[in-house]
Amino acid sequence: MLGPRATPGLRAALEERMGLNEPLIYQIVYFFGNLLTGDLGIDVFTNRPVTTIISEQLNYTLVLIFASITWSASLGIFLGCYSAVKRNTLADKISAILSVSFIAAPSFVVSLYSLLFFAVSLRLLPAIGAGDHGDWWDQFLHLILPAFSIGLSWVGYIARLVRASMLETMGENHIRTAKAFGLPNRWITYRYALRLAILPTITVIGVGMGFLLSAAVFAEIVFSRPGLGKLVIDSISTRNYPIVMGSVLVSTIIFVASTTLSDIINAILDPRIRKQL
Amino acid sequence: MSVLSVKDLSISYQTDSGPLQALRGVSFDIDDNNIVGIVGESGCGKSTLIGSIIKLLDNNAIVEKGEIFFQDKNIISLSDDDMKDILGVDISVIFQDPMQAHNPVLTIGQQMIDIQYRDKKSKKQKQNHAIEMLQLVGMPDPESRIYQYPHEFSGGMRQRIAIAMALMVKPALLIADEPTTALDATLEVQIIQKLKELQKNIHCSILFVSHHLGVIAELCDEVIVMYAGEIVESGSVRDIFHRPKHPYTQALFACDPGRILEKSKELPTIEGEIPNLINLPKGCIFKDRCSQRIDRCDDEIPSTHQIKNTHMAKCHLLAREQK
Amino acid sequence: MKKNSELQIIFKHLMRDPLGMIGFFIVMIIFLSAIFADWLVPYDPIQLNIKDRLQGPSWSHLLGADQLGRDTFSRMIMGGRVALQVALPTIFGAVSIGLILGMIAGFGPRWLDNIIILFFDTLRSFPTVMFALAVVALVGPSLSTVVFIIIATSIPTYGRVVRTQTLSIKSSEFILAEKSMGASTVRILRVHVLPNILGPIAVLVAMDIPTIIGLEAGLSFLGMGVRPPTPSWGVLLNDGYSLIRNTPWLIIAGGIPLILTTLGFTFLGESLRDVIDPKLRGKKR
Repeated sequence: MLGPRATPGLRAALEERMGLNEPLIYQIVYFFGNLLTGDLGIDVFTNRPVTTIISEQLNYTLVLIFASITWSASLGIFLGCYSAVKRNTLADKISAILSVSFIAAPSFVVSLYSLLFFAVSLRLLPAIGAGDHGDWWDQFLHLILPAFSIGLSWVGYIARLVRASMLETMGENHIRTAKAFGLPNRWITYRYALRLAILPTITVIGVGMGFLLSAAVFAEIVFSRPGLGKLVIDSISTRNYPIVMGSVLVSTIIFVASTTLSDIINAILDPRIRKQL
Repeated sequence: MSVLSVKDLSISYQTDSGPLQALRGVSFDIDDNNIVGIVGESGCGKSTLIGSIIKLLDNNAIVEKGEIFFQDKNIISLSDDDMKDILGVDISVIFQDPMQAHNPVLTIGQQMIDIQYRDKKSKKQKQNHAIEMLQLVGMPDPESRIYQYPHEFSGGMRQRIAIAMALMVKPALLIADEPTTALDATLEVQIIQKLKELQKNIHCSILFVSHHLGVIAELCDEVIVMYAGEIVESGSVRDIFHRPKHPYTQALFACDPGRILEKSKELPTIEGEIPNLINLPKGCIFKDRCSQRIDRCDDEIPSTHQIKNTHMAKCHLLAREQK
Repeated sequence: MKKNSELQIIFKHLMRDPLGMIGFFIVMIIFLSAIFADWLVPYDPIQLNIKDRLQGPSWSHLLGADQLGRDTFSRMIMGGRVALQVALPTIFGAVSIGLILGMIAGFGPRWLDNIIILFFDTLRSFPTVMFALAVVALVGPSLSTVVFIIIATSIPTYGRVVRTQTLSIKSSEFILAEKSMGASTVRILRVHVLPNILGPIAVLVAMDIPTIIGLEAGLSFLGMGVRPPTPSWGVLLNDGYSLIRNTPWLIIAGGIPLILTTLGFTFLGESLRDVIDPKLRGKKR
């Protein structure tokens, strides 16, 4: 951390600051104890609490993730429904091929190419940063390319999942009953079938948070956006361990929280699950 | 005046091995306020028949010929939109498996309100109508149970809900596809009683499919016997049950556990299986399993012989008798 | 003989599925180019050639040269080999460990099963890249670090499938019969579980390889994986990123093969799954 010019004296002082001269077991207990009170330690370089540093950057990442999942889930669900209703038509087959292709491309490559194409070559959208504070439009423009890159593979993934789920649901007996009562087609698709078919998708999105966090790291680097990912990368090169540890921990917590949240949403939507609880 | 009139209906399914001829030349009428039962084993074509009446057949089904007239409209040539005006208004259906009949994530009250979507009543009125119907089918405490979900009801209750839903719209024709097959005997009796009551109140016709002969005898006015896609015999309940003329009908009665008078070690069955509907055999469709088969059955398809004014059967043996 | 005909069935299906064929060809090309890379590359991929630096595409440098004069085309071809060099050992490691753990979890005592499940879930609860970054922060970046991380995060995927399959076979009746005839656990695992497992695992592998290659490329792109001058596609993309306003060719050379490879494996995997899944379902019912 200190670099090659550190003297033994400096090193000793740093060790004491960071608590590294305590026995290992003390360090671990200390760490978790602090954790419970929300204290992730002090960043040695800037002397500010790690929690503060992380929370400053966290917002950007959360906004990015939220934007990505919103657009991709909406489009994905719609495409999935459409493909299910129009199964085996040309539109369905094209959509299927596109879905598979989108899933395949790694998100950071999509980020790079969209940077290359839209920002550098065409100069249509900004390439760097998150936009000026307080200027909503500017921030929105800066959000477009990163959110697009992260969300692209998800559109395909979700579309396929929803399609399969819908096809299965539509084949079930209660849908036949609904049709036999002459209920309007749109009701049957959305109100009766989709409400059921959506459940596995919600679980998938909850678990997918892990992927989203990873993709966000890349997007932040490529587009030089502030955020948790950029923070971690920078901290690694300066060997700023407390920040790295803290960030990884925070992202894990977010991940666990999102899977729990998706389970809760499922329970809300499906009364049968509520019964089991 | 017929509510439903099926004329010479033939339907086949496209399969990889060729067309599967599920229905061949089926003709019958259902009059106003009449209960018509259809008896037949699995594969006789009853599901296809029902599917064709409500226009919910699989994609690979083809109507080869024939017509279905419902109150003067030809169902076959009706558009899907026009069909939506009939389904759930003039025709309603009760399906076989009550456990899967309702949407699991909507309350039954909500589903019963949904069915009334064409009515211009207020939501409260629709809800009250639902509660009334549930009371009619014998559900205790319907005012609070409409807020419950299907999985909170037993099988028998769910079937009652299905009946309530079907009759709520006061249809001209109710189609019941083996509604009591999945229920135990005591429940079956109750449900059938309820159906009879409600039918008298609402004055609808019923097309009742079942393989339970006792129920058919109890409930129906007329009976149609189907085998492998054809109608082999039809007539009033009396005709069929007291004087069955077609060997298949006779065999069905002989095998009915409820009618066996002597103790025996084994339950009688009809040997053999239904024939391949893709490559139809020549001659009578029942010939391979018929105990009274004659030479003529091998090559000639029997014509429909009138026995009495309402009673008819498709069998060569009858030609002899009439001579 | 039976194995032969199963492979034939799979092949026939592939022939009929256009996407599957495309996938198969792409995978073949990647493998062949990786094996024969030494003969295919016009230049030594790590050879500096400063006087050629930042050339655009030309006859001497098909895709141009980077800031140190290295031939982009050669680096691109070699990148394929690097990708497979990472992917194959990783898959092998993850499948082996996952297989063993999964079988133990399925067949062994309950408490052991619970421990192994906990282990799987813990590994899965970290967002992969974050986890990778944490490890890199501790031990420093290198190829072996990448391999280790990817194996660790992949184990649960295979482990769970193996476990599920083992559990379902364990409770099926003919196993009870076998056991009563004295068959050992190892034999049961080998004869009954293993053959049923191979299909789904093959599909998982085909679908997993693109993820792994992508992950390696990603980490290398961040500078956390393969160290330069080794020409991983991720490294190419990193160079390309810094030079994005000078030349787009590095990004093209790094990204296109990456996309094609992931597409190829994915198409192949999808096609395999279409064959293997319905067969499985058919068998079980």
